[in-house]
Amino acid sequence: MYRSSISSSEHMGHSGDLRWLVRCASAALLALLVCAIAALRLGGGLELPATTTRDSALLALNRYLREPIPDVVLVGSSLTFRLSEEYFETPRLRNLALAGGSPLTGLEIVAHQSQLPKIILVETNVLSRPADDVLVEKYTRKQQVESLFLRPLRFGVASYENWMHKPASHSKMADALNRLIMQAPSDFDNRTYMERAVSQLDALDPSPAVRMSVEIVRGLIPELEERGAKVFLFELPYIDQVEKTRAATITREIVHAAFPESSRWLPVDVARSDLRWADGVHLDERSALITARSIEKIFAVRSHGG
Amino acid sequence: MSFTSWQFAIFVAVVFGVYYSPPLRRFQIQLLVFSSLFFYGYGQPGLLPLLAVAVCGTFVFLILALRNRAIWLPSGVVFNLLLLAFFKYKFLFIGADPQDLTGVTPIDLLLKLPLPIGISFFVFHNVSLLVDLTREEARRPSLTDVFLYIVFFPQLVSGPITRAEMFFPQIKPKYVADVPFVEAAKWIVAGYFFKLFVANNLNEMTSYMDFPLYETLRTEDRWLLVFLYSYQIYADFFGYTAIAIGIALLFGFRLPINFDLPYISSAFSEFWTRWHISLSSWLRTYLYIPLGGNRCGAARTNLNLMIVMGLGGLWHGAAISYLVWGLFHGLLLVLERPFLRSLPAFDSAPLRFVRMTFVFLCVSVLWIFFKLPSFDHALSYLAGMFKPGTNPNPPKLFHDLALLYALPVMIQHLGFGSVLQSRLSRWEPYLYGVMAALAYLEAGPDVSFIYFQF
Repeated sequence: MYRSSISSSEHMGHSGDLRWLVRCASAALLALLVCAIAALRLGGGLELPATTTRDSALLALNRYLREPIPDVVLVGSSLTFRLSEEYFETPRLRNLALAGGSPLTGLEIVAHQSQLPKIILVETNVLSRPADDVLVEKYTRKQQVESLFLRPLRFGVASYENWMHKPASHSKMADALNRLIMQAPSDFDNRTYMERAVSQLDALDPSPAVRMSVEIVRGLIPELEERGAKVFLFELPYIDQVEKTRAATITREIVHAAFPESSRWLPVDVARSDLRWADGVHLDERSALITARSIEKIFAVRSHGG
Repeated sequence: MSFTSWQFAIFVAVVFGVYYSPPLRRFQIQLLVFSSLFFYGYGQPGLLPLLAVAVCGTFVFLILALRNRAIWLPSGVVFNLLLLAFFKYKFLFIGADPQDLTGVTPIDLLLKLPLPIGISFFVFHNVSLLVDLTREEARRPSLTDVFLYIVFFPQLVSGPITRAEMFFPQIKPKYVADVPFVEAAKWIVAGYFFKLFVANNLNEMTSYMDFPLYETLRTEDRWLLVFLYSYQIYADFFGYTAIAIGIALLFGFRLPINFDLPYISSAFSEFWTRWHISLSSWLRTYLYIPLGGNRCGAARTNLNLMIVMGLGGLWHGAAISYLVWGLFHGLLLVLERPFLRSLPAFDSAPLRFVRMTFVFLCVSVLWIFFKLPSFDHALSYLAGMFKPGTNPNPPKLFHDLALLYALPVMIQHLGFGSVLQSRLSRWEPYLYGVMAALAYLEAGPDVSFIYFQF
């Protein structure tokens, strides 16, 4: 038994103990060395599978720093996180929304880089959370954020998962998305989730936090636009009952009072009857695709000066 | 100060260096007491006076009980139980709002104090001290020795609960030449490996068991997560205990073993001789046997089992879930008692496997009450395990990662330790080296030890 294998091991004497410890330390150091060399050789190409939504958001941030600056960047909360990059036809688009996070985090990370994308789209639905300073600091450093060591098991699983679920070709992906959009809207009963979301959002008065966030966005926009980027704001649609909650209403009022000019906004023009919110707050897959395409259409017009 | 922090590693290294330096050998006990208080106060300095009151109060009761056991032993036990009850269960009766305060400053100060880390453990040490040392005509221990027994930092926060009669004989001058370095290293490496590699990574997945996330899970994932949590809580607590035992060995103290492959138990009574052994033997010695144990007939034995397990559940926290968890375990012990004598007659490998699976299944399902201390949430999670999920977008769990992270617990329970000790002993140091590297390389996101909350 494991218990006895440790507790009954005999005292080997000083030289025996030392030999055991040296072998143990050598094995550990060798393993670390191999993983460090592997990270140097393979580090740039690592795509680890995400076990949580936050993990995959961090992967997107890693890619943003590693790859050439994209044309379009979305920053937002978990609402925008649902708008997968594959839903957009623009190939050089990155979604830096953080599930459970604030749009300010992505916006500040983008603003701290030396080069900016041409268009930055900022979600304004959830502005009651502050920026994640730790994350901003981590991704603000000039050098690429990569581990010194390769994580061998995660790397193995990543290789297996990537091999098992190879990304579909562009045409195949487009076919799958077109099939999805042709489907009827889901008839999933989300009442329980929606009622819980409504009661939580009705209990909140986010005014002070939203005002503070709005001030930060207001400060960053001229700075970013001076450096050549164009910043647009957008609001994702909520289900009607959530739209009327205290938190949503207050946030909308404060944001629109701060940014009254319509040219600053990308109006998300979709038929509400076509959208579904499986958990009461977040768009389901099909609705996210419809919304992403609508956003893409509008920013294509706006970015060309329309 | 967490066992998994760099500060703790530095702390241990410094204390170890000073502890064995020849000029300071005379002050080894004082140094360990001082270091342990520093360790405890590092996170909650405001609670140091409370710890001092608990230790000094127990010491006074001990001295008095050595003169008159009949009066002062019960008084000392009650003093400690009141201390535990006040801090652990006060929030059952008062809220956190200012209007719940009395307006009397000293009382309000006590009411506002948070739950002191490790109180459940050091109170049990105190009771053991009072009972064990007054049982015979024992020599009166010094206050420093008593302090060391109660606050010795490897066991202070989450045990193992060491019996006084086992610890006190070990208080004597220590020499570095006597330190079993290899044994200590094995415990420490195994402990960190189980905590950082297994428990912390599994925690990423089992966080989906929390409310309201569990409502988005598929039915089969609810089942999977129950088993993963079963592995996680074992790896987390075994990891803590292994680190504690290893570090105590570095300072010349041998703490009791707390786990003995609990998930291979083929009976619930066997499970309790393999899981959190120091707690179950404490409850048996200081509660079950004084209540009459199994000496007063079947009905009384069953009642005693229910009382002990119910109180054992409540010891973990002031929540209905913990009580229900303990009572269910008590009920399982009661139900299996009539069959225990007849089962060996039918013993066979397949039957034993079926029994092991059944015990593991029941134990794992009951962990839901640990994971979700809100009773309603626990029931709702349980109900969801028996009906199809309706969420069209359930979270994706990587089953290959789940298997990889749970694998060490499975391998350990399959008896790999004895194979390692016999046929693969040549490779043992290399295996521990790789485990140490993996604990660092593949560590999951930092999270407190589960038993810190108790």
